[in-house]
Amino acid sequence: MAEYFGSRVEDIFNTMPERFQPENVAGVDVRIGYSVTGEGGGKWVVTIKDQKLNVEKVEELPKCSVVLLAEAEAFVGGALGVVNLQDAMAAGKLKVDGDITILGNVLPKAFTPFVPVIRAKDIIDSMPARFLPEKAEGVSMKIGYDLTGQDGGKWTVVVDNGSCTIKDGLDSDCTVVMSMEADVFVGLNTGKISASSAFSAGQVKIDGDIGAAGATAQFFKKFEIASDDKKGEELISISVVNSINQRFATGPYMGKWFAGLKEKKFYASKCPVCGRTLIPPREVCANCRVRATEFVEVGPKGTVNVIDLVYYASPDPLTGKVRSTPYAVLYMSMDNGTPDEMFSHELNPKDIDRVKSGSRVRPVWNEIRTGGIDDLLYFEIDD
Amino acid sequence: MFIQRGQITKDCFVMPGKMALPNQYFAGRVGSNFIISLRDDRKILGVKCPKCDKVYVPPREYCEKDFTKLDENWVEIGSEGVITNYTIVNYNDKHLPRKAPYILALIKLDGADTPMAHIVEGIETEEVQIGMRVRAVFSEKPTNTILDIDHFEPIG
Repeated sequence: MAEYFGSRVEDIFNTMPERFQPENVAGVDVRIGYSVTGEGGGKWVVTIKDQKLNVEKVEELPKCSVVLLAEAEAFVGGALGVVNLQDAMAAGKLKVDGDITILGNVLPKAFTPFVPVIRAKDIIDSMPARFLPEKAEGVSMKIGYDLTGQDGGKWTVVVDNGSCTIKDGLDSDCTVVMSMEADVFVGLNTGKISASSAFSAGQVKIDGDIGAAGATAQFFKKFEIASDDKKGEELISISVVNSINQRFATGPYMGKWFAGLKEKKFYASKCPVCGRTLIPPREVCANCRVRATEFVEVGPKGTVNVIDLVYYASPDPLTGKVRSTPYAVLYMSMDNGTPDEMFSHELNPKDIDRVKSGSRVRPVWNEIRTGGIDDLLYFEIDD
Repeated sequence: MFIQRGQITKDCFVMPGKMALPNQYFAGRVGSNFIISLRDDRKILGVKCPKCDKVYVPPREYCEKDFTKLDENWVEIGSEGVITNYTIVNYNDKHLPRKAPYILALIKLDGADTPMAHIVEGIETEEVQIGMRVRAVFSEKPTNTILDIDHFEPIG
């Protein structure tokens, strides 16, 4: 079976049920398709609905919310965090068909990160490194392991005069041979299965010197999942609300504008040369480059020219709170003003569906007006 | 714009505002490793370009000279270094890490080729000098930021 970075494509799917976090996916209803090419690849469908998980290997992908197409190596490497997903996407080794946000939003919550599956061979191979020569001084024995089932095999562990070596296959002169399912062997070593229950259930068979079998435990340090690998997986991300105090001076013109709002009036400044009405009032007509010293009252109603419908939930810079979406920004020609000078303000969200260019709108005022930015709430359709 | 003579200022006022923006800062894989090492092991790590030997502290993913990918070539850097430049922060704001006045210095750690910005404490602001040797003082509590080094202090 093809392995990439020590793991197989199917490992990622087989471990999904134990990595699933149902409490994190309330209300989620998605079907994610995976099409993994290369040796050990295949097609899988992962369905998350009603906080339940279903993982299925399929011949043909059904209609999915999103489909991930990947080369096996990039897929396994990505799951392990050793392949950069953006690099893989740029290189065309990873493609997403459909709503990519599902992968980013749902998967990290739905599953704990994939960690390599421990196989019997990993444990056998680690024995020389875990060997404690001082505990096995003067001991000479051969311990045979006959492990059946998937990922099983036959190995002989040779302990001789303070050394420990591994041989493939069972030597005929083993001091003791232990036979069991490979899964049981892994469970015993990782602490998922207790030795007493495995023995009493007859899951472990011992041929030869039973005393020697018991002695093996003290010759070796306990098997531990390599902790170094885990360290690199922690990624640091922090949430911060940056809050910076500011002071805005109105000056005389915007001061006049806010004083008008308090009285439910819109004041524009009027250019003495071209006659246009600047709203909100500005000190200078930028077209004629002259001071606009005269104030005229415009509105309060107006006609909509342009509507911006905003779906992006931008934060309000004054409070940091995220705006509710969608919201509409209107560009209006105010009554009694020159029509080319448009005033911009928000629309009452209830009118979003029926506003159009040409709609007549009226201002909606705050009950309590202080001569500030909150005095004018929004505009709504005047009917 | 200043107020012209003759303008009526009775409506003028100053409105307090607040720029409050929610941000999510991701340190990246390289940055995360750097901060985790500060936080858990109190060790300052850099990356060394295998091609030109330039050592970056704080680490970055690519060499700025030859664009070599650097994220595997970690080197441990000592916690002492030298001030290569500094400024005195003389105003207070709530997003700043210290009360004014405080020293913000560029510190080139021994073994590094790039300076990093950090706070210097333990001397009066007028005593700081380019060339002064300083040592990192690590934070008591983890912050998951560069402030896992709390500040630098002069040696001796």
